[in-house]
Amino acid sequence: MRTDPAAAARQAVRAGLPWLLVVLVAVALLGVDYALGKATLVLTYAIAGLGVVVVVGQAGQIALGQAALVALGAYTQAVLVRHGLPAPLAIPAAVLAGALGGVLASLPARRLGGLYFGMSTLAFALIVEEGLARWESVTHGAAGMAVPGFEVFGWRADSTLAQALVSLAALLIALAVCRRLLALHHGRAWRAVRDDEAAAAACGIAPAAVKMQAFLVGGALSGLAGALYAHWIGFISPEQFGLVFSFELLMLAFIGGARRLMGAVWGALVIVAIPPTIALLRDALPGDWARAAGLEMVVFGAVIVAVVLLRPSGLTGRS
Amino acid sequence: MLAFVQVFTSGVAIGCVYGLVALSFVLIYKATETVSFMQGDLLMVGAFTGLALNLLLGLPLWLAAPAAVLAVAVLGALLERLALRRAIGQPHLVAVLLTFGLGMMLRGSVASIPAAAQETYRLPIAADTLAIGPLVLAASHVWVVVVTLVLAAALAAFFRHTRTGRVLRACSEDAGTAALLGWPVARMHTLAWALGAAVAAVAGLLLAPVTFVHLNMGFVALKAFPAAVLGGLTSLPGALLGGVFLGVVEALAGLLLPEGVKDVVPYALLMVALLLFPQGLGAGRAARASV
Repeated sequence: MRTDPAAAARQAVRAGLPWLLVVLVAVALLGVDYALGKATLVLTYAIAGLGVVVVVGQAGQIALGQAALVALGAYTQAVLVRHGLPAPLAIPAAVLAGALGGVLASLPARRLGGLYFGMSTLAFALIVEEGLARWESVTHGAAGMAVPGFEVFGWRADSTLAQALVSLAALLIALAVCRRLLALHHGRAWRAVRDDEAAAAACGIAPAAVKMQAFLVGGALSGLAGALYAHWIGFISPEQFGLVFSFELLMLAFIGGARRLMGAVWGALVIVAIPPTIALLRDALPGDWARAAGLEMVVFGAVIVAVVLLRPSGLTGRS
Repeated sequence: MLAFVQVFTSGVAIGCVYGLVALSFVLIYKATETVSFMQGDLLMVGAFTGLALNLLLGLPLWLAAPAAVLAVAVLGALLERLALRRAIGQPHLVAVLLTFGLGMMLRGSVASIPAAAQETYRLPIAADTLAIGPLVLAASHVWVVVVTLVLAAALAAFFRHTRTGRVLRACSEDAGTAALLGWPVARMHTLAWALGAAVAAVAGLLLAPVTFVHLNMGFVALKAFPAAVLGGLTSLPGALLGGVFLGVVEALAGLLLPEGVKDVVPYALLMVALLLFPQGLGAGRAARASV
């Protein structure tokens, strides 16, 4: 790649401009505090979404239980911080827990691939959810547990601005690492396996090992997201990390376009925006039927269906 | 010993339901390469439709149940024509998201009906018990097993002895060649979805007297995935047998192992099965048979 500083600057402006616009509109519409709170959520979701983008979009495999890896990160972080470990030191453990979970979830299907990854990751997620609910001495079971705030050497990230900045820093680091991995032989091996497994194997790439690497990296990113999520939400329980969350993350990658890393960020923006939009709609609509409990589910389902049918390659992809 | 037999038979009964849902999943997967995440929702809609026909329209059960199955079959065919057809030939993720979204819409629609969202209902199918000597069986369990056997026999006859059934099998084996031979592949896809939806609805109606009818009864379909994997993911009899095996193992785990283990057993079995018997538990037999 050429490094022309003027062109690089132009590109940075072009990439940054839509985001500046999004931030300005959000602040104008929602107020600073609310917008920052939502921004924190978007940034955290985007980190977890990056994990799905790596597994689904880059390595071409399918992961149906990513929320469980977020849960592993969140619970590791929560338990360690509650035992007095400083938050920044707990984060590597949370990342490791997510990565380990990713490897374990994909291990049974590593030579089978395809739908079998979906099956094994789904089964792993259901086992983790049940395990978190049952292992009460550590996780407090289904009742959930409170998570202390994010603290670094006496500085507490308790304002929404601080939380957004910490999330932004984590996302930028995650994006940089992913970008580097994609440029290195890892990323090329992922894409080779995605596009043609037999051809990749013929070129001396071991597909099973490469797929496992993708699940490891995807799990690590989900673990990181989980660690931050636990702090920002302040309270975690097993049912937050159920099947619906896994599908939200899948949809996030799909909406944003799983072929590009930035797809995760755009997808996160859409996913986080959907519930408040539905709530607004509900208040705006006349009559009782809008109050019906199922409306949210119908609208959410309809959004998924519409996106899949209308934009099969996502918002950032060319269709 | 008596407790053991009792648990075993209830395991077989619930296993038949898992098996039927797994069978409906495999039927659709084989014929259309579409991974369906909405079988549980179709199951729930089937049970509610039967309930509504029985309670609201006053149809007798022997009429309401087949009518509900037919209605869900039509729903499946319609969804295939309108949306699911677009997922054919795309990556699995497209079908997974599409069926999950449609399933959410179905569940949300049922949840929007206040009477359906808040209560659990009993369908008065086989509500009493059967006593055979000292053994007391729930009639609903016996009913589940009998209907499953009849349905399996009917499906086997359909796939072996009718022209349509054989064409459907041909399209599942190799859609390209079947199309070259002039068989209507697209229509067979619609048929596969109608059949898959119908089998799920039957499972829902069979489950109705066992767990009652409620909004979340479709979660039982999650157990169909381990059942399908145990059966090798592409075998219809394998899916059914995998379901029965799973039901029995799960029931015995509930009897013998500490509380909570029962809920994890199906998924642990799935992962172990993938590690040790990736072609399904019947793979050895199938390989020997083909030699």
